[in-house]
Amino acid sequence: MYQYSEKDKQIVKNRTKEFLFQVKRRINGDLTEEEFKPLRLMNGLYLQLHAYMLRVAIPYGELSYIQLKKLAEISEKYDKGYGHFTTRQNIQFNWPKLEDVPKILEELADVEMHAIQTSGNCIRNISCDHLAGINNEEVEDPRPWCEIIRKWSTFHPEFSFLPRKFKIAVIACDTDRAAMKVHDIGLKLVKKKNEVGFEVFVGGGQGRSPFIAKKINDFVKKKDLLNYLEAILSIYNEMGRRDNIYKARIKILINELGEKKLKSLVENKFKKFADKKLSLKENEIQEIKNYFKLPISGPIKSEIPLKKNKQYTNWLNQNVIEHKLSGYSIIMVSLKPYNQPPGDATANQMKTLSKIAQEFSYGEIRVTHEQNLVLPHVKNSDLFNVWNQLKSINLATPNIGLITDAICCPGMDYCALATARSIPISQKISRYFKNQSIQEKIGKIKIKISGCINACGHHHVGNIGILGLDRNGEESYQISLGGSADENTNVGQIVGPSFPEKELMKAITTIIKTFENNKKTKNENFLTVFNRIGIDPFKKDLYETSNSK
Amino acid sequence: MAKKLKGDFFFLSANDLKTGCVVYYDGKSWSSKIEKAKKISRNQIEKYENIAKKFENKCIIISPLFVELTDEGKIKKLRDIIRYKGLTIKI
Repeated sequence: MYQYSEKDKQIVKNRTKEFLFQVKRRINGDLTEEEFKPLRLMNGLYLQLHAYMLRVAIPYGELSYIQLKKLAEISEKYDKGYGHFTTRQNIQFNWPKLEDVPKILEELADVEMHAIQTSGNCIRNISCDHLAGINNEEVEDPRPWCEIIRKWSTFHPEFSFLPRKFKIAVIACDTDRAAMKVHDIGLKLVKKKNEVGFEVFVGGGQGRSPFIAKKINDFVKKKDLLNYLEAILSIYNEMGRRDNIYKARIKILINELGEKKLKSLVENKFKKFADKKLSLKENEIQEIKNYFKLPISGPIKSEIPLKKNKQYTNWLNQNVIEHKLSGYSIIMVSLKPYNQPPGDATANQMKTLSKIAQEFSYGEIRVTHEQNLVLPHVKNSDLFNVWNQLKSINLATPNIGLITDAICCPGMDYCALATARSIPISQKISRYFKNQSIQEKIGKIKIKISGCINACGHHHVGNIGILGLDRNGEESYQISLGGSADENTNVGQIVGPSFPEKELMKAITTIIKTFENNKKTKNENFLTVFNRIGIDPFKKDLYETSNSK
Repeated sequence: MAKKLKGDFFFLSANDLKTGCVVYYDGKSWSSKIEKAKKISRNQIEKYENIAKKFENKCIIISPLFVELTDEGKIKKLRDIIRYKGLTIKI
């Protein structure tokens, strides 16, 4: 993985020192909250319902075991002993004190981590396929490109005060594991006529107005990537709305201008930049690529231990994926143990996982946008040993891709913006569907839960999306169906009036029954059935049945 | 702020600047103990807005807000209950 240069270390050190002075000035009154707020946001520090919240960057979801251990230590020393992994592959600490944040940032800097640009109206963490570099489908590893974009976007002099936040995702195969098309810019590495370049998608997003990104360029050469991104961001910076935060994202701009017009503006701007400014040289690209070579030299002979242990077998079937090099496996570590807040990891879990990664996964851990973790390079012969160790810290739940593997934002338990709680809903679903056989019978399904219209839980693109609302002071939940964040990205359809919290589980079980009653074959999954039968059978079973009672 | 508020009685709440903790105005200063919170009537809102402003300027609190109470003097809205009681989930 990428190692900081001396320049990188100095940048982060300077930023930490700068924020220390900003905090001191705030505490002694030299800065008002109005003056301080944009500064703390640029360092990932929010004020939430109960306390400050610090969002730490995990660039494209890649962590070393040393970094994970440090995150555990920070959670113990400065927080309440746990962290929350997010849908943008970052980690959040929910209880830091303002006066401690500079110390936290200093400790993070020691392990090449920071909280820069994890908030604010700037280019945020670049997100990526969590199986980058280790799957057989990709054209090439997208992580070096994430790093190149990260370097370009950090403290960009022109793009530090954009109309609104800006999110970029990079993938390199037809399978989209990064929700690429609901990002402001989505990049897909493709090979055309033996040359690798980028398909460029713009204007995706969720929130109040979900949009699927539109392809504005079929092929941007590698050397031109940064110039092309400059062109897009320049147009957005000039033309994006600043009068209304709800209409300030690039998705609104492209919707208002039209795809053709935006494309034309970008191309004209790009023509001015092409072959100048930020053209990437092959040796520069290779220098970054060198950081991402696999730690494994090649395939090995290593067999998966088979045991007469149902829990282990279930885990192998659900949570373990074949590595591109035979003899190795990829372990998906579920952060959705039954009845636990999804995406959370305790200090003990993080510390133990750090040791497991060091011993069994060449020191590497990854974060997925679905709030799980990955041990990317584990020898097959070690799988049973690793499973036992994960089990001892409650991180071996065999539910990856199943109904209890839900995405869930922090919701009103934590978030000042939320209109309803989301974690208790996720826990109810987790408890109700805990039975492994039932989960496997339901099959692959993505439930995504947001505590408000800002959609941090990605409810728009859930096969079952759940949005928490406030209806006259009571929590109420609106359900959408048929959404998808993969390569067939689709915004879900709202099924009908929202459900009071007490009726929500009944609604979800009704939806599952409708799905099961309409399966043509045993193996059909929820989305396949929904796409075939449409929303009407679900509406009927949810509303007409209850009305007739 | 008074125009947006519903109800007749309130607590004045905020977050402690340095720690971020939820605090309530007790008439003289700020406490995390809601039992000490001063009950404020609707016609006193402006007065306490000014008091909150003074404490903001002294860098003691941030984000002051009025917490609506029921007729029985209990916190009305779920969000405010969560702010006071803490998480509704086990961590």
